[in-house]
Amino acid sequence: MSRLATGGQIDRSSPHNFTFDGRAYQGFAGDTLASALIANGVRLVGRSFKYHRPRGVLSAGPEEPNALVTLGAGAHREPNTRATLVELFDGLQAGSQNRWPNLRFDLLALNQMVSPLLVAGFYYKTFMWPASFWERVYEPLIRRAAGLGHLSTLPDPDHYDREHGFCDLLVIGGGPAGLASALAAGRAGLRVILACEDFRWGGRLLSERHVIADQAGDTWAAQVVEELASMPNVRMLGRTTIVGAYDGREYVAVERVGDPLAPAPSARPRQRLWKIVARETVLASGAIERPLVFGGNDRPGVMLASAVSSYINRFAAVPGKRAVIFTTGDSGWRTAADLIAAGAELVALADARDEVPAAIRALLPGGLPVHLGARIADAQGAPLRSVDLIAGGKRHRIGADLLAMAGGWNPAIGLGSNLGTRPIWSTEQETFLLDRTPPGLRAAGAANGKFALGDAIRDGWSCGTQIARALGRPAIAEQSFPTSDDPASGRALWHVGERRGKAFVDYQNDVTDKDIDLAVQEGFTSVEHLKRYTTLGMATDQGKTSGVNGHALLARATGRSLSQTGTILSRPPWQPVAIGALAGHHRGRDFRPERLTPSHRWAAERGAVFTDAGLWKRAQWFPHYPDEPWREAVDREVRLTRSGVGVCDVSTLGKIDIHGPDAAALLDRLYTGTFSTLGVGRARYGIMLREDGFIFDDGTTTRFAPDRYYLTTTTANAGRVMQHIDFARQVLWPELDVQAVSVTERWAGFSIAGPASRSLVAALLPDLDLSNAAFPPMAAMELSWEGMPARLFRLSFSGELAYELCVPAMAGDRLIRRLFQLGADLGITPYGTEALGVMRIEKGHVAGPELNGQTTAADLGMGRMVSTKKDFIGRVLAGRPALVDPGRPVLVGLIPLDRRQLFTAGAHLVRPGRAPVAANDEGHVTSVAHSPTLGHSIALALLSGGRGRHGERIVAHDLVRAIIVEAEICDPVFLDPEGVRVRG
Amino acid sequence: MSVVDKVGVTEQQGLAIAAILARRGIGAVAIGEVLAIRMPVGPTWGTGDGVTIVGTGPGTWLAFGQGVGNGWSADLERRLAGLASLSDQTGAYRLFRIAGPDARTLLQRGAAIDMDGGVFPAGSVAVTVIGHVDVIIRNLTDDGLCYEIAVYRSYADSFLRWVDAAIAGL
Repeated sequence: MSRLATGGQIDRSSPHNFTFDGRAYQGFAGDTLASALIANGVRLVGRSFKYHRPRGVLSAGPEEPNALVTLGAGAHREPNTRATLVELFDGLQAGSQNRWPNLRFDLLALNQMVSPLLVAGFYYKTFMWPASFWERVYEPLIRRAAGLGHLSTLPDPDHYDREHGFCDLLVIGGGPAGLASALAAGRAGLRVILACEDFRWGGRLLSERHVIADQAGDTWAAQVVEELASMPNVRMLGRTTIVGAYDGREYVAVERVGDPLAPAPSARPRQRLWKIVARETVLASGAIERPLVFGGNDRPGVMLASAVSSYINRFAAVPGKRAVIFTTGDSGWRTAADLIAAGAELVALADARDEVPAAIRALLPGGLPVHLGARIADAQGAPLRSVDLIAGGKRHRIGADLLAMAGGWNPAIGLGSNLGTRPIWSTEQETFLLDRTPPGLRAAGAANGKFALGDAIRDGWSCGTQIARALGRPAIAEQSFPTSDDPASGRALWHVGERRGKAFVDYQNDVTDKDIDLAVQEGFTSVEHLKRYTTLGMATDQGKTSGVNGHALLARATGRSLSQTGTILSRPPWQPVAIGALAGHHRGRDFRPERLTPSHRWAAERGAVFTDAGLWKRAQWFPHYPDEPWREAVDREVRLTRSGVGVCDVSTLGKIDIHGPDAAALLDRLYTGTFSTLGVGRARYGIMLREDGFIFDDGTTTRFAPDRYYLTTTTANAGRVMQHIDFARQVLWPELDVQAVSVTERWAGFSIAGPASRSLVAALLPDLDLSNAAFPPMAAMELSWEGMPARLFRLSFSGELAYELCVPAMAGDRLIRRLFQLGADLGITPYGTEALGVMRIEKGHVAGPELNGQTTAADLGMGRMVSTKKDFIGRVLAGRPALVDPGRPVLVGLIPLDRRQLFTAGAHLVRPGRAPVAANDEGHVTSVAHSPTLGHSIALALLSGGRGRHGERIVAHDLVRAIIVEAEICDPVFLDPEGVRVRG
Repeated sequence: MSVVDKVGVTEQQGLAIAAILARRGIGAVAIGEVLAIRMPVGPTWGTGDGVTIVGTGPGTWLAFGQGVGNGWSADLERRLAGLASLSDQTGAYRLFRIAGPDARTLLQRGAAIDMDGGVFPAGSVAVTVIGHVDVIIRNLTDDGLCYEIAVYRSYADSFLRWVDAAIAGL
């Protein structure tokens, strides 16, 4: 145990039990998994991606490349979680990854033996021969050997929420600069959203020992947080990571809502995805410490100095007893002071600089082994046993179990380049900084290169006040934040040339200094090529600790400066995001909304099988008993409808009211036929063309008054036709006085078909005269049913005497139940979309498979419906030579010669005796059905020159399902071509 | 605090609904004079004469009548003859009232529009989407405690599934 008896931001009265690789440990509330492991003396936590090298915890933040663990078990299992971000809870189960058989003894560590083969770009050079081995041998082997954790492969049991945020100012980061920005903006009355990735506010103030305005830094932070929390105009989002900056000043964030808690039975969401629109944004995301590149710099026990300070000051956990500091700047000295204060032995401090400020020297008591102009060249042991110090031109081996490295700071500015502006190198600061930023975004504090605490707070405050002023808020009282001295000088050191062991640049992807040299030798000298060739920065940590070091080594190898070399762009997401968070509520049944018909509940009660028609759930057929074969049910529904009466919910058809003095004029321009001549109380079938002359949609239009029409569309095109009409009346012909509105949701519509349909409608509406004389085919009327408005049409899609009855949607359920009461004696049957399809195919009516966007009116036998006396949308292009070619495939019917055979839709039509190849293709089968009325299979098809070929034979080849049916070509109307039944 | 304390959802029943679409060149004032209502201009709503009028688009309104008879829509049509087209939409929407201390938060989790009281005060209307479902949101109070949502009838069950999931996240 390395836990200190006092201090830190942990609650010692609230112990949490947890396991790692099956062993039980104890930590405290306020711990991360990483800090609890360190406090328990666990030093080995993972294996590296390629070489399976043993790894420990490197950092104390979201940049962690090594300590990736799998959390939870079963469906809750979550791989590749950074132990440094996981808030410890009681009962947490964690396990190491990418090792076999166990973490201490990993057989695949043998990969190191063949490391000369696994250099940069090895996968472009090796495993090439024999080619057939790639899929069967090499790829499975590599995938097993290299990698991260494994998904549970079970459905994700958690659910994910969503929220939309709007603010004047978004502050990204809950450290000193972010808090100061939010405080200034909040006091000025701006609407502020303050997002902090950590579960505790304060950033570095929690991890370092500072004084602000005569208070301990963490106390100051807590006071500011308290004031901010009391402001109604400030929204504090803890445990929230901003993961991307997008156009329109939009930011996406992930809030960990249930994550810190053990999986609970409640429906509490695990995470919440935020979309935040911010007028202005302050990026106060701090800075990430740079590792140093020397031999064995990946060994467990080698850590970032800032992390060592965090573990000591925030978590009261000391990561080692005999510590070495390797630093290039002032901050490393502070870590040395922290270690001494925590009781560790400082066995060496190596500062690569030849001189350091006196104030820094004063941080440590005299007599300590401090070496200037010194370097650590190598580290040995796993966990760390010793280090090689180069000082005074000599190599000294020193026993140590902790090496803290402080290589300078990289501002965490990834979000600032999300929209495509590359950071630029600052020679003065020796770091990349944002030059141009996305609109509305500015960096503050360490993210802006203000590494000293006082500078960072002042920068944050000043951003807040400037933004408030720019947004027109009155000035607020200025405030100074006197802080303790925080020297922040340093000098970058990119590489230790004396190193003997492997020196890692990218820990997670196992990219070494040699890999970068090799990439340069092979010509990959741009940062973007280097990245892809070596995989530098391409791991889940996106190179947060490795990127700049890698680019510096690239600069060194190519003899360029860092500003000439440049750095890569960061793309969203800045931190990994669970796919579930992006999907939110929309998965499984809620993947997309469902639309339910007015008779849905009734149909479900009758055991209907439903099918998707766009978003609609439509009854497909109504089985009489569970698992009744569908053909049996469909055949029955067709037979009973054709012999008695059947009812089908057709509410899904698009319905549009077209009103106004110019309604008729508009319809004449939309349809190929003429509607201005339609009589009041009459309906007419119409087809609309697209601009390009092909059929767009079909349906009936009814005139209820001279200036009041009602048209229907197909279910599939309801939305598109509405758009089309609005475009026509608002854009093409704004001079027309015509109004249009969808009434699809207003009306429940039922088709009542069959020889007994008149009796059924008469029983429902006894006062009506439904005789052919009074209410002939294509007649329509407005009436009242049970005190509600209703509409009755004499329309038939089935070829039977039929009516369509519409009532207000909320009364649809009542109507269907009433119809089935009244129809009991008439042998009434419900019918679904399958029977609807069978009957329309028997009748030769076209639907979706024929209205496929490639057919003309003439193709489908409706050429006479195309007016030659007026203009309409699509008229000109419908006259193109290709669209009037007499050889075009046209609608025909097909009957199998062997009546037992069934057609399949999509089969291609080839003349008998010819090979089923594309050159002989003459058309295809569009719609197929077994006709219970005729007792055999029938099909509609599009066949070249088909109208003159009735009586000939053709062969339908379904090469996919290996079904060949020889057929006779016939008229597409199989049943009652004279229309006797429709006229009833 | 139980969910019921945080937010409650109740369905408004028995409303007659009609879409009013201004004829070419006819403005809100002319229509409002006939209906004796100040017609809202823009995404706002108002009441008068027992009717609530909701602005849903340029020259387009939805009128909601509570406790009006079956002839209400036909009567509106007669009164507006020559000024506006009228389509009876009774039954096309289901209306839900969402009320409680977390009502605003709940809606903000669904709608990608700013529901802050300063931006979307009482009297505001938004024609937008929640969970891929078209909704018309009306803010009824200045304190953000009560909203009314109109949802197309066929989508209402899906909308309520979203409401249930979102309430679970409060």
